[in-house]
Amino acid sequence: MVTPLEQVFPGLAKGDYRITSPANPDYNCLAWAVADTGKWWWPGPDEKREYWPPGVLRETTLSAFQEVLALLGYLPCVDEAVESGFEKVALFADTSGKPKHAARQLATGRWTSKLGRMEDIEHELGDLEGAVYGSVVLILKRPVTAVV
Amino acid sequence: MKAIMGTVRNGQIIADQPVEWPEGTRVIMEPAAKEETLEERFHRLSAIWHRETAYLSSMTEASSHPAYQQIIQLGPDVIPLLLRDMQARHTHWFAALHALTGAEPIPPSAAGNVPKMVDAWLSWAKEHGYQW
Repeated sequence: MVTPLEQVFPGLAKGDYRITSPANPDYNCLAWAVADTGKWWWPGPDEKREYWPPGVLRETTLSAFQEVLALLGYLPCVDEAVESGFEKVALFADTSGKPKHAARQLATGRWTSKLGRMEDIEHELGDLEGAVYGSVVLILKRPVTAVV
Repeated sequence: MKAIMGTVRNGQIIADQPVEWPEGTRVIMEPAAKEETLEERFHRLSAIWHRETAYLSSMTEASSHPAYQQIIQLGPDVIPLLLRDMQARHTHWFAALHALTGAEPIPPSAAGNVPKMVDAWLSWAKEHGYQW
């Protein structure tokens, strides 16, 4: 049986994922990726409804997302391979380059994602690529000792 | 002749009131169209909105969905339903409440903090006499 999640993300249909939290509308993918589940991070036009770090351009562009992640110590890296001593975040964007999703790498090399207002899941990076989140366009890393 | 309403029970149609038409009058029977209440319409649109936007990371993109906009078009009578749902489930009715009331009670310090944003709206609604 195809689950509602698999209907939205056909890449999950092979079953190589697991739900790791109940649905929660209090935080989103970027918040989860940067380990701040106390806020909904997104550069929406209304600065009272969605959190975006002060000083960073409030626009849904890859460069703005990259700038936010740089504030947290993340710099672009070559690929998604596990690197000892580093943690990684992947940014997904649509064909116009507009960011749609962020995922965080686990120590095992698998990835964890918060799906909008839905659940957190553990998955393979490519599982979420498709019509909804587009594709992985940038991987960034920081030393695991970096202070948020 | 005035139409008569009734209800199907155990395969029989029971009229809501005595039928005074002449004996032998032929009648046509068909299910009455059920009129949706405001609450039913809200829940139907809300379910569509959840199903089609729950995976989105952007509140703005989610609140632009046609079902969300149709909920706003239900007008001020829907405000108590929004408040009740927001209190129970932290549903993101912030843009709808703003559109319907013109208010924006979320303090800058609560930006993006959904529980605090919900509290701010519920406090505002209480102060302004809303019941939900």
